[in-house]
Amino acid sequence: MKICVLYGTETGNAEMLAEDIQSALEDDHDVTCRNLADTDPAALDGETFHVVVCSTYGDGDLPASAQPFADRLEDGAHDLSGVRFAIFGLGDAEYDETFTQGSEKLAAKFKARGATQIGARLTHDASGDDLPEDIALPWITDILANMSVEQEEG
Amino acid sequence: MAGKIAIVGAGPSGCYVAQAFLKADPGLEVDLIDALPVPFGLVRYGVAADHQGTKGVMRQFARIFERQGARFFGNVHIGRDVTLKALREAYDAVVLAAGLCEDRRLSIPGGDLPGVHGAAALTRALHEHPQAGALPALGPHPLILGNGNVAIDLLRLLCKTSEELNGTDLGPGPSAWLAGNAFEAITIVGRSPAARAKFDPVMIRELGKLGNVSIKVEGAGRSEEPEEQKRLEALAAIDGHGSGPLKVTFRFELRPLSVEGKDRVAGLRVEGPNGEETVRASSVLTAIGFDSNGDLDRATLLDEAGEREAGKLADGLFAAGWFRRGPRGTIPDSRTEAQATAAAILEEMAPDPARAGPAIFHKLENVVDYAGWQRIDAAELARSTPERCRQKLPSTGELLRAATQQDIDQ
Ligand SMILES: Cc1cc2nc3c(=O)[nH]c(=O)nc-3n(C[C@H](O)[C@H](O)[C@H](O)COP(=O)(O)OP(=O)(O)OC[C@H]3O[C@@H](n4cnc5c(N)ncnc54)[C@H](O)[C@@H]3O)c2cc1C
Ligand SMILES: Cc1cc2nc3c(=O)[nH]c(=O)nc-3n(C[C@H](O)[C@H](O)[C@H](O)COP(=O)(O)O)c2cc1C
Repeated sequence: MKICVLYGTETGNAEMLAEDIQSALEDDHDVTCRNLADTDPAALDGETFHVVVCSTYGDGDLPASAQPFADRLEDGAHDLSGVRFAIFGLGDAEYDETFTQGSEKLAAKFKARGATQIGARLTHDASGDDLPEDIALPWITDILANMSVEQEEG
Repeated sequence: MAGKIAIVGAGPSGCYVAQAFLKADPGLEVDLIDALPVPFGLVRYGVAADHQGTKGVMRQFARIFERQGARFFGNVHIGRDVTLKALREAYDAVVLAAGLCEDRRLSIPGGDLPGVHGAAALTRALHEHPQAGALPALGPHPLILGNGNVAIDLLRLLCKTSEELNGTDLGPGPSAWLAGNAFEAITIVGRSPAARAKFDPVMIRELGKLGNVSIKVEGAGRSEEPEEQKRLEALAAIDGHGSGPLKVTFRFELRPLSVEGKDRVAGLRVEGPNGEETVRASSVLTAIGFDSNGDLDRATLLDEAGEREAGKLADGLFAAGWFRRGPRGTIPDSRTEAQATAAAILEEMAPDPARAGPAIFHKLENVVDYAGWQRIDAAELARSTPERCRQKLPSTGELLRAATQQDIDQ
């Protein structure tokens, strides 16, 4: 499968996780990894499965590198129907009310343009004991396994 | 390309520069040199002990050494152990990312009375920086002067109860000091109107979780500007918070005139919209910015810089982070800047294979390499408790001992 891992970050944690996901998947898939800052919403296509990793800043806002993408998504008349994505959120539970809202908001923006979310949005808490890759790698492996089962059945 | 790059300072700026270099070209030799036996600069010794999530970037930085091949030379002070000149001769490019560690002085009458303390010195002592002084007695009514995030960090730490400090890496000494302080009231004074204070609104909101305080916000004023309104809303949200015994008061638009007191601080004389007054204070904690301690002759280097804006000081000599741009900007800013700096340096670097590289450190004693830091890290984590996620080794001696010993005495 063609997979594009997209990340929105400020201090680089999401980028590191995106690269981990890329490394974990690239034996079996054709995987690229890209900053959302360098991504044009018009370039998202239905053939590629998009795996988005995104942190949270400010008051539950998008991180700086995802902001221009979100603005372009908002401004243009983009139709993302046919685009499939999964999304993983980074955050810090110390910010309780706004915990991982950046990824939540980004998912809503994808869906508002007609994209289809695959799997549930899982999150990582920077104040917790888990490593992000220990949550995200099983998550994405499961999602891909389900997708291939559905493809075979479908 | 097989260029040799030395980065002076293994704080966030130095680490992000190294990361960007090795991402652009894994063939480069990138050496991070720090005066301390440990890497990570202000992430370890500045970022507040109760903001462990922010310290999570240390995992990324660890990878620069563990996977990307950067080398660490700790306990090497450039300018003292090795001259900058020698370093420049040994490397194709040198990046100064040495930060700014000195408190900006409060230059008003009484500004050096006993009882006036800088936030940099205090936070270093709280976070057990090996060169920090002892934690001073602050008396029952400390006054914090400044309205940046560092001022708010300090305020929050001073207000926290022992329970609220669970999960931090605050050491036994600083924990006992905090617990023994018994403050009655803390006043935080800003020079600008609240609308233009430098703190982030989330930093203010966080104060609304403190259990031991009752918070009052005086004279916050109004604004029509959306960014300013966010700040005012955050202040409004904590105004009246809590009914704890420790009274916290925010005051704005007060210009400090003098520190009052005979042989130690008794108050701060200020001028505000309603004239002059003296605000009671048993100590004055200044969080009004940071400056160079004169190390590496920063002022001259910047004055003589060829392309100061681009961070180029001279041929083969560059600057990054707070050392370059002054004490402004956060860790994300350091990252963005580092990527541009590394790209610009690679553009013009002409590697000379004859350069000595790290051989110039061979004759030095007690250099801590990355494996040495890993031993320190392991020793500190081994000392963690249910209440503390790590216990730092607080002195250079203990750090050096842990760096060289396989099994440290518990
Ligand atoms: C108290 C405090 C709290 C902060 N909290 C946050 C926060 O929560 N979030 C955030 O985003 N930003 C925070 N910041 C800002 C952040 O620390 C800066 O944006 C960033 O750290 C600047 O990093 P730097 O690498 O330039 O300097 P530093 O982190 O200071 O690193 C400089 C390094 O150089 C070394 N060095 C100095 N001189 C020499 C020499 N002559 N030879 C060899 N080595 C040398 C030092 O030992 C040090 O390790 C905080 C700042 C302070 C002061
Ligand atoms: C100033 C600041 C504000 C933050 N705000 C939030 C927030 O509102 N909600 C949240 O879940 N995490 C918040 N975080 C935590 C980050 O999202 C978390 O540290 C994450 O791992 C950063 O990933 P990145 O390096 O990819 O940007 C904040 C962190 C900082 C430094």
